[in-house]
Amino acid sequence: MSAVAPPRPSRTRGRVVASVVVVVVVVAFWSVDINWARLGNLPSEIVRYLWLMFSAPDWSKLGEALYQTWRSVEMAWVGTVFGIIVATPLSFLAAKGFGPPPVQAALRGVFAVIRAVPEIIIAIIILSVTGLTPLTGALALAVGGIGTLGKWGFESIDGVPRGPIEAVRAAGGSTSQVLRWGVWPSASPEFLSFWLYRFEINVRASAVLGLIGVGGIGDMLTSYTQYRQWGVVGMLLIVVVIVTIALDAISGAIRRRITEGAPVHDLER
Amino acid sequence: MTAPASVPAPAATAKAAASASATPPPRPAGRWKPWLAFGVIALITAVTLSPQLGIAFSLDAIARNWQNGAAKIVQLLQPDWSFFPRTIPPMLETLEMAVIATAVSTLIALPLSLWAARLINPHRVGRGIVRVILNIVRAVPELLYAAILVAMVGVGALPGILALVLFNVGIIVKLVSEAIESNDAGPLEAARAAGGTQAQINRAVALPDVWPSFVNQVLYVLELNVRSGTVLGLVGAGGIGLLIDAVRTYFRYDQLSVIILEVLVVVILLELVSSAIRKRLV
Repeated sequence: MSAVAPPRPSRTRGRVVASVVVVVVVVAFWSVDINWARLGNLPSEIVRYLWLMFSAPDWSKLGEALYQTWRSVEMAWVGTVFGIIVATPLSFLAAKGFGPPPVQAALRGVFAVIRAVPEIIIAIIILSVTGLTPLTGALALAVGGIGTLGKWGFESIDGVPRGPIEAVRAAGGSTSQVLRWGVWPSASPEFLSFWLYRFEINVRASAVLGLIGVGGIGDMLTSYTQYRQWGVVGMLLIVVVIVTIALDAISGAIRRRITEGAPVHDLER
Repeated sequence: MTAPASVPAPAATAKAAASASATPPPRPAGRWKPWLAFGVIALITAVTLSPQLGIAFSLDAIARNWQNGAAKIVQLLQPDWSFFPRTIPPMLETLEMAVIATAVSTLIALPLSLWAARLINPHRVGRGIVRVILNIVRAVPELLYAAILVAMVGVGALPGILALVLFNVGIIVKLVSEAIESNDAGPLEAARAAGGTQAQINRAVALPDVWPSFVNQVLYVLELNVRSGTVLGLVGAGGIGLLIDAVRTYFRYDQLSVIILEVLVVVILLELVSSAIRKRLV
């Protein structure tokens, strides 16, 4: 007795899943149209280009780069603000118990559709009205923001404890009073941190939108890549990295302050 | 242990007792702070919208172009279905690129995320270097990488895949190494105390622990890749984006809407499948 090991758990399902994954990957590799021969000298090519870009970054264009960065950040900021202004009321309507159910379902569908379309495609649609201006970029980011902010918003309102809401209702509060005193106090930290997070996303996305020509740092980067002025490209990449990391750090610090509260001072000192 | 602030001052207590509970409690201090924050935000917004410093928000231009835009949107609402067969091969290429990039970056990211996790790799310096490099890599969006890589290795699916891999490795390593660190340190210490080598510890303890979160992140990255793979072609990096670029230069918005609908269907289907897989995992 006791020497018999317990039977191994069945592994058939795991094996089936693993082989399906392998087959899909192999088919993808086999059918994709790539000149594999080029892959051989790729590492040396990449080292060569990295050297071209970063051995002597061309700082003479720094002024223009900073101006274009400012335009990108502006796009991100305006896009975030417009997105918040539109998405917040919509997320209240889409939350359980506030809007009529058909409106709720429709809004949730709209949010899902917007989230599935990349911002750059939204920008291509919008530019037929506003042309190739930074405003197009800002509006595209605002529309994209409605998708994400709306979804995060109604999910967070759905998660608000019901007690305070019922208390305000029982005390005779109107819907707007329920929102202000029953929902907002518990939902506001999450909302603020979503807004900051969306701003971080928009900073990255605004750089990308430059590729279709709405201006900003992405626009400058594609132009100099096409001129093959690698020193300038290297400088621009350095600027993008520093600005993005700095803005992330600021917004991350504010977010932590909002969600974790003020630093606690030791009272027993 | 109560904070001093919450203890009412003696005078206030006496007053409250005298007026027999009719006075509301004093308003908390610092109510001006939200208004200050609001003021700062409004100021920045005003600057960014101003014509000199900002992006020149003008309803004028919108009003002028409204006719043109309305015509485009009408076109957008009448998809040209005869275009559909031509969209299938590039869409397949987008999916292939996404699968390949996910597979390659998974293979690269797994050892790196073990290396970047504090519980597994005690060397602070090595860990720090990996994290700093990945933070830098993640700060640049994949489309910008693709634009540069196209200039380096030429047009096609290869620069697209490389750009996706670069960005994916950054995301997977960050999320998975954080997941490893949030795991209980007990089993790892037990394995170490039992004399396991690092390879044995990884195999027997660390990997089974992070497996669900790892698969989760890989699915998430696959979704991301399909989504951004649809636009990589705008810079010449392969996939359906090439077609988007073509129809947009000829302003064929009726064909653009076919592509958008197709992207929508693919992305939403993928989301449904991967959320079903996630439910099985948890």
